[in-house]
Amino acid sequence: MGRQRNRVLLKIIIVVPYMLVLYIFQSMVFPYLKISGVAPLLLPLAVAGAALFNGRAAGGVIGIFAGILCDLSFNQSTIVFTIFLAVAGVLLGAICDSVLVKGFPSYLLCCTCLLILCGFVQMFPLVFLHGVSILPLIGVVFRQTIYSVFFTIPIYYMARFVSRII
Amino acid sequence: MKDFITKKGIYIAIAAVVIAIIAAVSVAISGGRGDLASMLSQPFFRPLRSAVTALVDSLESIYNYMYSYDEMEAENQELRNRVAQLEEEYREYTQMSQEVDRLRELLGFSETREELKFTPVSVISWTASNFASSFTISRGSNAGIELYDAVVTSTGYLVGQVTGVTASSATVTTILDTTMSIGARVYESGGTGVAQGDFQLFLDSKLKMSYLSEDDEIIIGDTVVTSGEGGLFPSDLVIGYVDSLVASSSGLDDYAIIRPAADINGVTDVYVVTETAISGSEVQ
Repeated sequence: MGRQRNRVLLKIIIVVPYMLVLYIFQSMVFPYLKISGVAPLLLPLAVAGAALFNGRAAGGVIGIFAGILCDLSFNQSTIVFTIFLAVAGVLLGAICDSVLVKGFPSYLLCCTCLLILCGFVQMFPLVFLHGVSILPLIGVVFRQTIYSVFFTIPIYYMARFVSRII
Repeated sequence: MKDFITKKGIYIAIAAVVIAIIAAVSVAISGGRGDLASMLSQPFFRPLRSAVTALVDSLESIYNYMYSYDEMEAENQELRNRVAQLEEEYREYTQMSQEVDRLRELLGFSETREELKFTPVSVISWTASNFASSFTISRGSNAGIELYDAVVTSTGYLVGQVTGVTASSATVTTILDTTMSIGARVYESGGTGVAQGDFQLFLDSKLKMSYLSEDDEIIIGDTVVTSGEGGLFPSDLVIGYVDSLVASSSGLDDYAIIRPAADINGVTDVYVVTETAISGSEVQ
């Protein structure tokens, strides 16, 4: 019982700083380092890592946590990303458990798909609620995905390190 | 010994007197600068004394260097601390000077708009979203900030609107955001319309003014201000300047592209309009 509690504490001690570091970079550093008018998304990459290395449960839990932080970093009071990344983490975890091999190419594939989906989730309210033309939005989604994909390399190793502990 | 003194005493006394006389004479001759012994010994001891003196001097200088090195190091450290302190004071002074400049600008603006009350705030962070333009400010409802308060620069240029408030912070959506719509008026011609964020223009840090009347004579460079209609924004806050005009084929969807007067993406300190005559009249 005590050992199990210690293990849970260890997981929290490892995961919380890992997520906070990604949150700080996503919300406080990269908004000032935009390339072609866009900043990268880092937290979804952590969800993809947890789903690939630890399966659907970890993907879901990290997804909730990353989603809350994403909603905070987007200055929005809604919980769109909390729900979306939690569901995405579970689904991605299920796919990774059954289909994908645990390696960088799989991680890159998961990240790219998740980033594209994140972009679509971000652009939908603008399309449906504010009537914004879809083409410039897709351009931003594309640029955001490309910029974010560069960070899969360092985050892959971070995610793998964290996954071995949790 | 007693016998020696008895027998030779007279010679000893004579010798002593002679030596005393010679010594007195030598002192007299040298003008009091030295005695005979020293005069005689100088040629022999001078080189030795010089060498010893040089050695002592060098040893003393080494000692002094080592001793004063610590002092110099301490002094150097003290001066470094002083320089750091002065640099810090200079930074504070520069910041205060900039703040004074901003407050002077605001004072000049607020003197012309006495019905408005301003609350100074700092920008804490910008949104990480690439699809929105908003930032978080350092004060919230505890400072009297309310939802939909207008946010301006020290010169009174419109920056945005408060769209979320907590006790200690608030979210400001800028005028560039796609969700933003503001009742606007062209200052020169008096023509009215709606200044609104447009996603394509948002990427170029511009916005557009739609619903223009065909009769409005708008020219590039005209100033666009808030109309005050709707009560959300105080009137006559400068939104920006007409950058270009876009005509539609039907003539119904003409719009003007507006370049914001404020450097929206570069603001660090802004002012929230916490009280206006509009809100006062609404309360009454």
